[in-house]
Amino acid sequence: MSETIEAITTYLAPRRLDEALQAMADGEATVLCGGTDLAPQTESGARQYKARLLNINRVEGLGGIAADGGEIRIGATTTVAEIRRSAALAKIAPVLVEAAEHFASEQIRNAASLGGNLCNASPAGDMSPPLLVLGAAVELACWRDGAAHTRRVPLEQFFVGPGKTVKLAQELLTAVVFARPAPGFVARFRKSGPRPALEISTVSVALGARVADGRLGDVRVAMGSVAPTPLRARHVEAALEGRPLDAATVAAAVAAAAEDAKPIDDVRASAWYRSHLVKVFVEEVLDDVRGN
Amino acid sequence: MEKTANATPTAKQTLIGTRVKKPDAPDKATGKTRYINDMVLPQMLIGKVLFAGRPHAKIVRIDTSAAEQLPGVHAVLTGKDATGLKFGFVRDNVALKDKVRCEHDEIAAVAAESEDIARQAVALIEVEYEDLPGVFTPEDGAREDAPLIHDNFPGNKSLAFDFQHGDVAAAEAASDFVVDNVFRPHHVTHCCMGTSCAIADFDHNGKLTIWTQTQYPYNYKMDLAPALGLHPGDIRVIQPPIGGAFGSKLDVYPYEPIAALLARKTGRPVKVIYSREEEFKASPTRQPAIIHMRTGCTRDGTLTFRSADVLLDNGAYTSWGPTIPVIMMRTVSGHYRVPAVDFKAQAIYTNNPYAGSFRGYGNVQCTYATAQQMDMLADMVDMDPLAFHLKNSQKSGEITPQKSFLRECALVECLETAAQASDYSRKRKEYAAQQDAPGRYKKGIGLASSIHNAGGAKIHKSDGIGTILKMDDYARVTVITGASEIGQGIDAVITLIVSEELGVPLEHVTLVNNDSDIAPWDVGVHASRTTFIAGNGTRRAARKAKAQILAAAEKVLGEPAETLELRGGSVVRDQCGTPIIKLDRLLRQMHFQAEPELVMVTDYYEPKSEPEGAQHMSDHSAAYSHAVHIAEITVDTLTGEIKVDKVTVAQDVGRIINRMGLEGQVEGGLAIGLGYALSENMLLDHGLLKNASFRDYKLITAPEMPPLDLHFIESDCAEGPYGAKGISELPTIVIAPAIANALYNATGVRIFNPPMSPETVARAIHERRMQTAPGKATTPSEALAV
Ligand SMILES: Cc1cc2nc3c(=O)[nH]c(=O)nc-3n(C[C@H](O)[C@H](O)[C@H](O)COP(=O)(O)OP(=O)(O)OC[C@H]3O[C@@H](n4cnc5c(N)ncnc54)[C@H](O)[C@@H]3O)c2cc1C
Repeated sequence: MSETIEAITTYLAPRRLDEALQAMADGEATVLCGGTDLAPQTESGARQYKARLLNINRVEGLGGIAADGGEIRIGATTTVAEIRRSAALAKIAPVLVEAAEHFASEQIRNAASLGGNLCNASPAGDMSPPLLVLGAAVELACWRDGAAHTRRVPLEQFFVGPGKTVKLAQELLTAVVFARPAPGFVARFRKSGPRPALEISTVSVALGARVADGRLGDVRVAMGSVAPTPLRARHVEAALEGRPLDAATVAAAVAAAAEDAKPIDDVRASAWYRSHLVKVFVEEVLDDVRGN
Repeated sequence: MEKTANATPTAKQTLIGTRVKKPDAPDKATGKTRYINDMVLPQMLIGKVLFAGRPHAKIVRIDTSAAEQLPGVHAVLTGKDATGLKFGFVRDNVALKDKVRCEHDEIAAVAAESEDIARQAVALIEVEYEDLPGVFTPEDGAREDAPLIHDNFPGNKSLAFDFQHGDVAAAEAASDFVVDNVFRPHHVTHCCMGTSCAIADFDHNGKLTIWTQTQYPYNYKMDLAPALGLHPGDIRVIQPPIGGAFGSKLDVYPYEPIAALLARKTGRPVKVIYSREEEFKASPTRQPAIIHMRTGCTRDGTLTFRSADVLLDNGAYTSWGPTIPVIMMRTVSGHYRVPAVDFKAQAIYTNNPYAGSFRGYGNVQCTYATAQQMDMLADMVDMDPLAFHLKNSQKSGEITPQKSFLRECALVECLETAAQASDYSRKRKEYAAQQDAPGRYKKGIGLASSIHNAGGAKIHKSDGIGTILKMDDYARVTVITGASEIGQGIDAVITLIVSEELGVPLEHVTLVNNDSDIAPWDVGVHASRTTFIAGNGTRRAARKAKAQILAAAEKVLGEPAETLELRGGSVVRDQCGTPIIKLDRLLRQMHFQAEPELVMVTDYYEPKSEPEGAQHMSDHSAAYSHAVHIAEITVDTLTGEIKVDKVTVAQDVGRIINRMGLEGQVEGGLAIGLGYALSENMLLDHGLLKNASFRDYKLITAPEMPPLDLHFIESDCAEGPYGAKGISELPTIVIAPAIANALYNATGVRIFNPPMSPETVARAIHERRMQTAPGKATTPSEALAV
């Protein structure tokens, strides 16, 4: 229907990873997974299809959740609906399941993939904050010199700007991995928008930490929609690390949030409201962990 | 005498008040319905419009040569092809413009073999603009040095309305309490699921057939004609199934004459259909307004006066929107017993998108103000708002200052029913006491009510409807009626009434109501009028048919017509219900006898209402009705999110005809009202729409629809069909102020500039706290405790 779709001359839907990587080795393929970002973006003219459209949904081994070992691995084509339904993740990393709960609508969750959510690199992407607090990394694969090569990039180094990542055009995101959280690890996620359902986050906050003797350790705090990329809130983390989880610490963390969150005014919310919400959510997730 | 196969008595049963499904529901639910958007005609071309994309500018140069040369392009039209073809309420609009007055102004149009070619051609049109300073609020537009938008409308003044009754100054002097606020209701749009679409085709005699979504096909011909230089008689309007209108199709909009101009130029049918983004930008809006309202009362809670000074944001052209003060002033003067009234409204041209009519028609904006001021005054005199409302309620037989005769008035019953069902008074006290207690989540309950015309509105010389009813040899009934079906359910109502009167199954009734060359005249779907007006028309026509049939039965059967009835597809003895002859058989006997007769009757029904008139003092509707909404909400005082937990509705419906249709209209109307109250907002930046998508324009979605507790009060309207009143607009009108009053009950803040979005509410609560205890809290929740 649109002129951009007519730019596609080749459509590929390989079953093997090698084939997929070879098909994009020249950096001249558009990768299609659920299409829930790609379709609206091309339709509106915000981006153009390349001549080769590469559907990765049928590639064997790119989907599924492996949660048995010390490292948890979620394949790139795993849908948000699968994450939401995963009994294993509900036990190991409930924060991811919770983020999936608040993600879009049933129809979108059935199509939307984890890999697509990260590669789209929206500052409002809902999978990023929980994965950041889980200390996740992404695996990027490409075809070079007649073989597949894979590198790992920590998620916090993956995003460079709205819609921009360190992933090269010839690289495919194959999986997201993170170490099985240690006993005592807790995590929380909060998101908000003007409407409870089918909503792009106005602001989101995730907290992950080890709790022992009323103190927080290995604290990770991540925020969405407060900067050009999802980010680690280093000031809030510093205010929490090793501290007793009392009212003074919470107040310090809330104050520190203003240092980390540098939101802007846009159609969805004013900078004032975003800053306000960040404080509310930082306090809320901490109170929740404190158990009140 | 005829013997019948089945002589079991047929019991007297009424369909009135039962649940009847819409005849088109199965087709719509299964995707079989062919909407206008799906229609393709042989040889059809696709028309596309070049929009200005800027709010105010001169067109210096326009070059269409590249577009014209593109293979597959059949015509490219610009402003010069529409010169002098002015249309619109005050003849200020034209299909293709020679000056830009708003973002969606149509600068050129292309007809091409395909959508893609048309789109490419539009992109090839070169336009050089010289931007002009614009005005984006009515206050700015009214300033003396404001840029002029239309040369022939000095001061950017569009329509103005005035109404005075009683001595407001004296009444104010006698008031113990006066509330004085400025309300700023915002821009929203209809968001029909089916985007705007028209298909136009001329025959070689110069007659235009236009397939379009209009909800007023007959006056539409009159309004469309000048945009094309045609005689209205040379226009045939066909209305295929559409995906919603809600008032947005109560005028001619430029895409319709554009389709026709392209069709005339190319000699082929041309279809113009909007994308969702175009729909957001080019659709009419609900009229934003600045309402300065004052209301007074005495110490014992008796209303003394109300004054409203209203500035309306007309937008760039005058559609029906600027006429909404006609309804606003009825609310200002007639919403409760107000002895002295002063109402002034002025619509001002701006470079914003222009307003049209929208379900609730001015009353949504006005009730947002009146119903909150009722709540504020009750607070000032320290009365339960329920008692305050009851004290000032009109009763049956009263006449409002504007001469609306409230023949059957059930306001008191609505108030008492809703208050009792929701335990309003107790909860309100309890929640108010909790307002400043610690705690993040606050509950609130709010009551609001309004009045609306419920028997049409005689804004034209006639508010009537024509009906033709015919029966065939198989006792199948065809009703040819002016009543348009735009999704509101008149098809079910008419079917039900025919079935009730003629005793035929619902499925044996067919409607023909979508072709202006066939169906007789009607004003259109607006003013909550169709069930009332078309219901009366249908009943009268059916009763004429019945009289004819029973007279024939008397001849055939030798039993007096008065003792006979039509029931269960037969002529029966009224007393015992025993069938005597099958209806189809009787009809055939009538048809094939020596002096043959066919059942085909006509009716023209004109309601007993008075034309609006220049002084706005008339009984302009054949009925009026009230509704009370009580909203129960939970407010997250930190994020500002409002969750609507429950809405109790008590509405005077006169008499229920189709209960399922009634419930559907109330639920749907509430959904529109909830969106208006909480989340919908057209974000305009210097006249440019920033959220032209469903991602950023927030309609209410299914999970946010609260549980509804519906109470229908049957006041039995003497003039209505079976006692029914019109019902469709009040559900949209009353909910927003009910939520606003609940928000006040929960938190002590009032929002004068809807929507009550989380951000707006959070900021208001935050500011209130900063005033009561500035700068003490270190965390958001600590701020709650101070
Ligand atoms: C109505 C609606 C609601 C939404 N709500 C939300 C929400 O609540 N929260 C939220 O975070 N998002 C939301 N989204 C955005 C979107 O659904 C998500 O970002 C989704 O996860 C994208 O996944 P996808 O599989 O559809 O990606 P696609 O659209 O297929 O791809 C997105 C981008 O990533 C690239 N890509 C995809 N997979 C790979 C891969 N494995 N390797 C390399 N590149 C790849 C594509 O080329 C494309 O550039 C919403 C979208 C819609 C339409």
